[in-house]
Amino acid sequence: MDVPLKHKSCVSESRPVACELCDVRERSICADLRPQELSHVERIMSRKTVAKGRAIMAEGEPNEALFVVVTGSFRLTKHLEDGRRQVTGFLYKGDFAGLRTTEENPYTAEALEPSLICHFPHRFLDEAARVSPGVKDRLIARAQTEYHKAQDHIVLLGKKTAEERVHSFLLSLADSIGEAPHQGRRRTRLPMPRQDIADFLGLRLETLSRTLASLKKKGRIVDVTRNDVVLVLDDH
Amino acid sequence: MKKEWRRYLGVHAPRYTSYPTALKFTPDVGADAYAERLDRVEPYEPLSVYVHVPFCRRLCWYCGCNMRVENDYGRALDYVTALIAEIQAVGRRLKGRGRPVAVHFGGGTPNYLLADDLAAILSVIEGEFGLTDDAQIAIELDPRSLRDDDADRLAALGFNRMSLGIQDFDLAVQEAINRIQSFDMIEACVGAIRSAGVNDLSFDVLYGLPKQTARSFESTIDKVIALAPDRVSVFGYAHLPAALKNQRMIRDEDLPDGRLRSELVDYADARLCAAGYMRIGFDHYAKPGNPLAEAMREGRLRRNFQGFTDDVADTVIGLGASAIGYIGGLYAQNEKDLRAYGERARRGELTTVRGVRRTDRDEVVAGAIAALLCRFEVDIRPLEAILGPEARRRMASRLGELAEERVVALRGGVLQINPDAYALARVAAMALDPDAPAFEKVSSAV
Repeated sequence: MDVPLKHKSCVSESRPVACELCDVRERSICADLRPQELSHVERIMSRKTVAKGRAIMAEGEPNEALFVVVTGSFRLTKHLEDGRRQVTGFLYKGDFAGLRTTEENPYTAEALEPSLICHFPHRFLDEAARVSPGVKDRLIARAQTEYHKAQDHIVLLGKKTAEERVHSFLLSLADSIGEAPHQGRRRTRLPMPRQDIADFLGLRLETLSRTLASLKKKGRIVDVTRNDVVLVLDDH
Repeated sequence: MKKEWRRYLGVHAPRYTSYPTALKFTPDVGADAYAERLDRVEPYEPLSVYVHVPFCRRLCWYCGCNMRVENDYGRALDYVTALIAEIQAVGRRLKGRGRPVAVHFGGGTPNYLLADDLAAILSVIEGEFGLTDDAQIAIELDPRSLRDDDADRLAALGFNRMSLGIQDFDLAVQEAINRIQSFDMIEACVGAIRSAGVNDLSFDVLYGLPKQTARSFESTIDKVIALAPDRVSVFGYAHLPAALKNQRMIRDEDLPDGRLRSELVDYADARLCAAGYMRIGFDHYAKPGNPLAEAMREGRLRRNFQGFTDDVADTVIGLGASAIGYIGGLYAQNEKDLRAYGERARRGELTTVRGVRRTDRDEVVAGAIAALLCRFEVDIRPLEAILGPEARRRMASRLGELAEERVVALRGGVLQINPDAYALARVAAMALDPDAPAFEKVSSAV
């Protein structure tokens, strides 16, 4: 197969080639679509590469499309009225943003690295929903995961010590993008800068650095570098 | 200041750092009411956190704060334990919701506490409420208690705003208020704070202190300007010996009269403005470019318990004995008595003992007063619309009096304070406050 993934796919109903190839399909909203619906959805979606630092949605702008992360990662931020920003989450492979629960984008999503997304304009999705009535309901059910991500962040912030927060964050990061566990250890990339992790966890950069050093000293992590970390799994 | 205005300078107007003012607080608001509001704080809602440290090494005779002279550091350590327990009690309620944008340590003397103990408190705040690198972390400092490496240590802990209690540089005045601190000492403190990298340094100065003369105060203001703080607060000393025992040490005959008070405040204003400071509200000054001056320029200046502020948070979490919190229309004040505060806090309880709920009417009054104090201009028609006939008549009569004296001007429902009468802004605010007593009833004989 030589269909370039980054091009808008527009293929016959019987062969949704780009989607067949997509390795996040099992984890994304598309997982709930039947083959017939998938081919319908495929005709309204486009794939886009996103350069590092580029935003795919901006807080306060009209919420016009749904995005699924195929590769790469994104940082979600909200701005306070005086220009300060709160990092509210990260999107990884298989995650999505922009389900139409609000008229305006509730946050800004910027690529932390060169990334690839699928892009579904809402107006076409609405059309698809008319043709295949089940599609929208299943998408709405999936919207719960967006809500859960926000809830998870508050639960994380509710953990009372820097160590608990940092360790939980690393574990959940490993669950999203980590390598398979190997001999009680699990390596995961850290696609985001330290400052973003600190802001996300409600910690100051200095506290994050101290906490990573302390987790290393206690043997809960090994090999922490700028770009990755190896976790020691508790139950091993 | 115009001669006719001097009598207003002697009016003990509320500071209006809250509305309703603390005089209206009652025991009807307790820990349960406060806890219920804490439960309603939203995720990422900006929080302003105030931490009260009530201890001082010595008693200043002008002081009107909730403080005590403490020689036993063990008692201060007990207090730190209680404070940490209180932060945890609040944290259990917030459960990760809310986000501090400002943390302010006030007193008393926050640097009565050793840097290690301040570090412990800050670290628990970071754990319980979260802290990010863009938070303002401020501390009031008594220069006499600032040890050699304190400025460096505090800056390393993240304190990025420091405020020095100057009051007055004149020795005779310092003796009359029992607060002796030489210019050399202050200069050394400023040097230490600057070399620690703190670029937001504030001075507190008081006018109306005993033994102040025009000449002594001019020299004080000139020294302040020479040390180039980023902000200056110029507060008027309120002499209330009947209520505050320590102020009885100040002899009435040493106090400046009304005319001198008005000259002192005018001099401070003229010199600070000439030196390039921007006047902020009625008693703050800031260098252009300072966040407070920026907030003023952009019309987002606000008033909270610390005075004028650039802090964006509507919600205040007050920690420590006598501290006041404000969440969603509810003011809640902690137990003042140190022993009772400590016992309750260490049991893991919130220690709220008094407070008040803002009514819809209070909300409108509070908004009008805040606008008047922060912007010197407010449309009073919404206020007129909700006041009863009696209150409306009283407001009209007070505003009429002030307008006649040209303290304020009222055009088409918009009330403005005469820029020359900036020091009387609180008196003008009293006119909008349906609960304020008549000017005559709260005037001192100056």
